[in-house]
Order: sequence, then C-alpha cells, then structure tokens
Amino acid sequence: MRESYFNSMANRKKVLKIVNFLLLCVGSLLFLSPLWWMISTSLKTMQEVMSFPPTFFPKDWKWENFAKTWEAAPFDLYTVNTLTITVLVVIGQVFVNSFVAYGFAKIPFRGRNVLFTIVLSTMMIPGFVTLIPQYVLFSKLGWINTYFPLVVPAFFGSAFNIFLLRQFYMTIPNEMIEAARMEGASHFLIWRKIGIPLTKPALATVAIFSFNGAWNDFLGPLLYVNNENIYTLQLGLQVFKGEMNTQWNYLMAGSLLVLLPVIILFFFFQKYFIEGINLQSGGKS
Amino acid sequence: MYFYFSIIQEEENGLIKKRILLSLVAVMLILSGCAGFQVGGDKAKTVEAEAEGKVVVDFWSFWGSEIRRPVIDKIIEDFNKSQDDIVVKHTFIPWGDIWTKELAAIAAGDPPDVVINDINATALRGEKKQAMNLSEFLEKDDISERFYPELWDATLYEGDSYGIPFNTDTRILYYNKAAFKEVGLDPEKPPTTWTELEKYAAKLDKKNGNTYDRLGFYPLFGINYDVWMLNASGKNFVDVEGNVEVDTDVNQETLNWLLKWKERYGDNVVNSYKSQIDSQQSNPFFTGKLGMFINTPTFYTQIRDYAPELDFGVAMLPEREPGNGHTSWGGGFVAEIPEGSSHPEEAWEFIKYLTDKEAQEYWAVKNYDNVANVEAAEAAAKSSEMSEKDQVVYQMAVDNMEHTLLTPTPLDAPDFPTLINPEIDNVMLGNKTPEQALKDAQAAVEQLVEENK
Amino acid sequence: MKKKKFNYKRQEGLVGYIFILPWIFGFLVFTAGPLLFSLVASFTNYNITSQMDFIGTNNYEKLLFNDQLFWTSLYNTLYYVAFSVPLTTIGAIFLSVLLNQDVPGLRFFRTIYYLPAVLSGVGVYLLWMQLLDPGTGFINMFLGWFGIDGPNWLFDPEWTKPSLILMKLWSVGGGMLLYLASLQGVPKSLYEAAEIDGASKWQQFCYITLPMITPVIFFDVVTSLIGGFQIFQEAYVMTNGGGGPVNSLLFYNYYMWNKAFKVFDMGYAMAMSWILFIIIFILTMINLKLAPRWVHYEGESKR
Repeated sequence: MRESYFNSMANRKKVLKIVNFLLLCVGSLLFLSPLWWMISTSLKTMQEVMSFPPTFFPKDWKWENFAKTWEAAPFDLYTVNTLTITVLVVIGQVFVNSFVAYGFAKIPFRGRNVLFTIVLSTMMIPGFVTLIPQYVLFSKLGWINTYFPLVVPAFFGSAFNIFLLRQFYMTIPNEMIEAARMEGASHFLIWRKIGIPLTKPALATVAIFSFNGAWNDFLGPLLYVNNENIYTLQLGLQVFKGEMNTQWNYLMAGSLLVLLPVIILFFFFQKYFIEGINLQSGGKS
Repeated sequence: MYFYFSIIQEEENGLIKKRILLSLVAVMLILSGCAGFQVGGDKAKTVEAEAEGKVVVDFWSFWGSEIRRPVIDKIIEDFNKSQDDIVVKHTFIPWGDIWTKELAAIAAGDPPDVVINDINATALRGEKKQAMNLSEFLEKDDISERFYPELWDATLYEGDSYGIPFNTDTRILYYNKAAFKEVGLDPEKPPTTWTELEKYAAKLDKKNGNTYDRLGFYPLFGINYDVWMLNASGKNFVDVEGNVEVDTDVNQETLNWLLKWKERYGDNVVNSYKSQIDSQQSNPFFTGKLGMFINTPTFYTQIRDYAPELDFGVAMLPEREPGNGHTSWGGGFVAEIPEGSSHPEEAWEFIKYLTDKEAQEYWAVKNYDNVANVEAAEAAAKSSEMSEKDQVVYQMAVDNMEHTLLTPTPLDAPDFPTLINPEIDNVMLGNKTPEQALKDAQAAVEQLVEENK
Repeated sequence: MKKKKFNYKRQEGLVGYIFILPWIFGFLVFTAGPLLFSLVASFTNYNITSQMDFIGTNNYEKLLFNDQLFWTSLYNTLYYVAFSVPLTTIGAIFLSVLLNQDVPGLRFFRTIYYLPAVLSGVGVYLLWMQLLDPGTGFINMFLGWFGIDGPNWLFDPEWTKPSLILMKLWSVGGGMLLYLASLQGVPKSLYEAAEIDGASKWQQFCYITLPMITPVIFFDVVTSLIGGFQIFQEAYVMTNGGGGPVNSLLFYNYYMWNKAFKVFDMGYAMAMSWILFIIIFILTMINLKLAPRWVHYEGESKR
C-alpha cells in the first residue's frame, strides 16, 4: 500500500513539492533574521539599542524614527539625485553591454580572443590602485563635482556585464544567426530582434545588478561629488555615523527606506525569470 | 524555420531611429536641468557669486551628525560675519573616507583649503608633503601656546608644524558606584593601582554557573594592550629617532599581567563580552553587567543618553605600582591646509579662529568634546551650560591631560602595529610565551625601521 | 566564390569592431591610462604627493623576499578564495533550482533569498559580529540545539576565515539570480522527454540542467574568483581596522590598502596589485583553457 503510494508519479511529485516548500520556509527564516534585526533596531529608542542583552522585539515601537530619519538630511533631494544617476547607469549598462557582448559572442573578427582577454583582465586590478590616477584623469576633464564620472563610463561597457551577456549569447545557436544573415539581416538587426529578446532574463539580471550597484554606490559619489546639493542617498546616510557613536536606529531606518526601491524593482523584474524564453521551441516553430 | 525575419525587416529603420532620437532628446533635457551635470557649477559660480568677490575657503570635515553639524556651522557663521574678505564654505564628507578623497584631490592639484585630519599622522603627512608647512604663518602669529604641549609636539615634523590641534581625547576609568556600594567598597575610592584594580574586580565579580551576572573588570575591553604598556612604561614603542622598545621587562610584566586576567575569566566569558562591546551597540557597562570600564571622556554622553539611571564615577587609569604614574593615552584631530590649497592665507585666518578660545569653548560645551585649547577646556569644565555631572567628568578629562601621551606615527615604521599585534594575539591565545613573542616583535619592528631608514 | 567569401569575412570583421567599439573607446579613455600609470609607478617609490623615483624592481624584490606580511595576506586570501568560490557556487545553484520550481509564494521566496545580497555595508557586518558572538550569538545557540559546542568564530584564528565564508554564503542571492536567468533558457521539452523515459529528478538535474547552465557556472566561477581575491571591506569592519587575531584576517587587498593609504607607499601597493594581477590572470587562463572540456555552449553544438 505504502510502496505503491510512493511509486505513483503524481504522489511522488506532490511529496517533493511539499518538501521543497518546507525547505524554503525554514531557509527563509534564516535569511530573514538580519532583516528583522534591522527592522527591530529601526523601531527602538537609542537607549534600547544600547541595552544589554539586546532585545528581540522593540519594547516601545517608535514609528516616528522613520520620519525623523528622513528629516535629518535633505533625503528628498538625495533620492532624486540618486535616481537620476541610477536610471542613466542602468540604461547605459543594459544597452551598451548587450551590444558589445553580441559582438564578442557572435561576430568573428581578428583579435577577438585577445581583446576579450583584455576585457577580463580589467577586472583583475584592484580598484584602489587606479583610484588616484583615475581621479586625476577626471579632474583634467573638468568632471570633478559632476555626475559625469559616475554615469559616462557606464555607456562604454563594463567587463563584468559584457562577460555575463556574452555567456548568454553563446547559448544561442549559431545556425539561427547564420540563417538570418542568409536572409540578408544585418547584425544590428539580429541583435535587436533575436539577441535582445532571447537574452531577456540576462538583461533583467544586468539591469538589477547595475541598479543595485549605482543605487548603493558609495565610493564613486564620495570621491567625485563635493557639493552637498548633489549628494546621493548613500552619502546622506553617513550623517548617522560619527567618529565615536552611531545612531543605529536612524541608520537602520534610513537603510530600510533606501532598500525599499531595490525590493520593489526586484519584485517587478521577476516576471523575466518566470515567463522564460525558450530557445529550442523558438527555433522549432 | 526562421520565418520571422521577413517580418522584422519590414518595420526596420524609421521607427527605431525616431524612438532613439526622442529618448535622446528627453535625456538631454533632463540632464541640462540637473545640477549634477553642470561642469564647474558649484565651486566656481554659485558660491563665488554669493561671496561677492570674497575669497572662498573650502573647508572639509566629517561632522555631519545632528549634534556636531549645527555647532560647526554656527562657528563658521560667526567667523564669516567677522570677516570682510573671507567666506568659509563647509562640506560634510563621511568619516574615514574623507582622507581618501583629500589625498586624491591633493594628487589632482585641486584640494580644499582646510581639512580636519588625524593628529597622530600629522608629521607623516608633513613628510610626504600632503599638508602645508605652517611655520611661515606661525612666525607672524605664534599660537602654539594655546594648546596642550603634548598635542602641539605631535604636529611637528623636523621642528615645523603641519597642522593645528583642534580636539583631543584621553582614556579614563568609569566605575559603577552602585555596584561598589553593594559589595562593600567605598564608592568615592576608585582603584589607584593595578593591584587594587584586581582586588576590586574580584569583589565585584558575580558568578552564576559558567557565566557571570556581573564581571568586575577586564583590561582589554575598550582599550588594547598598547595602552597598558604605555601606562606601565610611559613610552611609545618606537620613538622619534626610530629606537624600538618593544622587548622590555616592563612590557613583559604587563603582558603577563594581562594574561592573568584572561586566565581568570576564561575565553568564553571574555569573548562574549567583547563581541558585544565591539559591535558598538549594547554595552554591558550600561546595564551594570560590567563593574568598571575604560573609555574616552565622551563615552560619558552615551551613558547620559542611553543609561541615565546608572550611578557611576570616573577616575584616572590606575598605575602599575605607587609612584609609577597614571599615564593614559590620547589622540585627536588637527586642522590642516592641504598642499596645493589656493588660499592658504585665508585658510590660516580661519584655522586661527577655529582654534581660538571662543570657538573652542563653544565646541567643547555644545558637543561635550575635549578641545585642544587649554584655556577653552578649563573654561568649559566650569561652564554654566553643563550639568553637575557633566562638569565632574569634563574636569576629570581636563585633569587627565597632564598624564596623557599621544603616539605619533613613527616615520620610520608607520605600520609597525601590524607586526606587534599578531605576536600579542599569540600570547593571549596561549601559542607563545610573552618572552618569545616580545623578542620576535622587537626583531620584526627593528627590521622594518632598518628598511625604511 | 572564394573572393566573395573573403570579402564577406572582412566585412563581418569590421562589423565586429563596430560592435565592440564602445568598449574599446571606454577602455582607451578611462581605463588604459590609469592601468598603465599603476604599472609604471610600481617600479618607483611613488607616494602620491612628493616623490616618484625609479627604483627598478625593488618593490617586487622586497615583496617576494623580504615581507612576511605579504605572504600572510596572500595565504589568507587564497584560503578564502579556495573555500568561498566553490561553496557559494554550489549554494547558488542549489538555491536557484529550488526556486525554479512551481511552489506557492515563489516571488516572495525569491525576494527573501535575494535580499541579503543587496544588504551590505557596515551595519550588516556588525550584525554578523553579534550573530557570531560565541556566548550569546544566534549561530552558536542554533548549534547548541543539536548538541554542538560552537567555535569561538571571530576570536579564534582557526575560525575567522570560515566565519567570513559563512557570511558570504548568506548572500548567495546574486549568484542565484544569475542561475535563475540561465535556467529560463533550458527547454521544458527536455524535461518532459526525460520524464517519459523515467529519469529521476536527480538524473534530470545532472544530465539536463547542469550541462545547460555550464556557461553561467563558468562565468560565476571566473568572476567570483576575481571578486574573492578582492575581499576587503568585511574584514576591515569586523576587525575594527586591525588584521584580526594573529593577522588571520589580513587579506591581500587590506594589506595593500594599508600600504597605499595609511603608509602612503603607493608604489609598493601598485607592485602588490600587479603581482595579484598575475596570479588571477594565470588562474583565469587555466579556467579558460579547461572550459571547452566542461562548458557546453548550445551555440557551438554541431549536430
């Protein structure tokens, strides 16, 4: 009786599904615990934050912490600033890298491998040894105290994203490209009409990564922006950190507010990871 | 098979180009309205226009918190009012990273005019020509007498000053008076020697199975081994001439003493308390779970704000043995003019104001911070704006300055702590004897000095 | 015919250059100069502000033959990379497969598991210091429920690096996202066929899923390897700016940072960065050379 129950395909699938679900539930508790800690800290008084041993739930839920946090610095302005930078960076990263990666993956040309090795190599030198010369370079261009150093490079490709998208293009059958070429389609057209649609999940990934990168970037704005009117959210959050003590409740409240758009964006972009783009069936139709 | 290509070709060209063009125009429109894309928009135009031909002094600090910010901005406002030709523009740059940015700006030849920086590395920055030599200004108006001599000396490289002391700190002992009373100790008589410290701690200990309900004292919470060695010997590990004094009898004795504490409480208890203290959040001293704790005088503001009920007292650091001295350790910040500043004369005027009695006293009282100006510090301790308890702790800090030593970064071995730290760790973990560890550390630091000479 | 093909190829090549032109331009303008500068300066005593004299290979010699901390930091970093790269890769694949099933609340789960990857910065590191507290911390409490006496984590030089690896594992969400994207390209028809043939879930995973996502595994391994060598901020915060017990968290980039911005020996730091470059470059080349043996590109399959 019991054996047959498990042998039945449908039942086995059901059991697997339940096990899967339970596993995910337990895991999410572990993964959420830090977020809970952030939330609970953000709702405490500083006095409670500093008490020993730490409390799990706030004794007194201080919702006004969020309002106070937002007033501590011109965060409205910082949001607009950060959003401007981020949107531009995402646009640049998604389109330019997709374009460049297509070239590296699908068009044979002389020196392609050498150039691609150079692409990879640029990731291998730690950023802060080139920090000073790069700053001097941007200074010579007259770009200090503007967003140009933060935005313009995004329109000239990033090694990480080029590599990532190239890997996805590599999975598109060459025959598909060749057939399109035979019909007279230019590579530009193929990139637009086959490349982009077939790599949508990857492009969504690049969009999410570059959004997070630009949204949470700290060192970039720190170095290149001197005017507090064009500061970003990450720089704004620093007012809660002092040389001696930190206002943890405000810092956590601020971090949560800054995190919100990231979560929303991720939630929204998930459709690209559910619909799925099916190469094989596309080719067969 | 690939039927869709014919469809594609039809709607090619026209549409796409239009769309791209449109979005480009939209982007350009947005950008032209955004301050972040106006080259030279800030420094050159807006401010200077405001200043109406005045010289703008660009001032960078890391004071952005709701307590610090209004105080420094008020000082700047007062200064600006007093001046006909100078306007100071203050920019908050986040703590720690401010100096990376300063360095990059110096390298690019376009630094700000005044920056707040670490006092202990002032000579190093002077040697590297990051900070400007201030002797020319000091010849005209010598303000060196304003400050604690120990602080002033830390700003000197080859006899010239490269930064003017602004604020400072020291280390004092906080003790829980209520706990003292509870175990029959006189709450007005804090420990004065290492032996007393041990005795009192033992009395204050409240053991509960494997853990403690209250820990009397542990020397390595709040400060490190180096402060205890400084307390015992009254000397830095490496002096100005590059003489290394790590492997000494006094240091060995200190290390053995520290080891004794560790053995007494055991790893588990010590580590558990330490990870709480290091996380900069819950502090066991606030809740009476730690009887005595060493920290800066400004730690008092945390007690005042987060544990207002705590009944505590303050004292000098205990001495190794009677007559050895209550040597403590301190640091602080200077105001410096970066090399390449375009308005050093005006910057100097501002620095003079910033470190003069009035501004210093205002800063000290409003921020509850220890200032470098002696007169201002002494006046602040008696300020009517402070509560009685405020005054007691502040006076303690002022008095402690005469016992306080700084540890300026030695030019011949700027990163020597990376060599000593692991050796001390090894001792505390029981992997090495104090004798061996100090011998190895001495050799390693000597080698470093040799290489850099 | 032959001539025509030649032309076609040449034209094709030209188009290729046009496609990668943005990158070439960006590289030449923004990246190449600073890189070249750091290479040249690594043969000098460059200190950013006052000196830059050519000193031959002195920096390199000193690093390799006369600097114990260089080797300590290299060892710590290699240790970290050797464990964190495979563990995070496996973790990310596992998670993405779990989250690519038809489960109620899928979007929620994905968001939850992705969250830690976006949470970073000082606050999170300090939180981990509390979680890893050997006495009252959550992790040892958790281990205690199973009768395991947890280690001293950040206080025991043997356990400091595993602590960081554990922390890194918690933020595998980024990798998970990559694999999720990649899994969307695996045709459902393959699974259906396998199911009809009676293949178990595990077999399906090994013979369908895994080969189909190898291009992304390859990407993940190469980039996490490069990223792993750059570990810096976590250690910096969690050790209060020291190197951890017995310098066990003195990582390569951390040491380099100290040399560059604390001691201002930038030439030395730049020499360090080029040694690191050579190490990573060799490892990446090995990866690239081995790739054809296990990375399966649908595009190259010759049926």
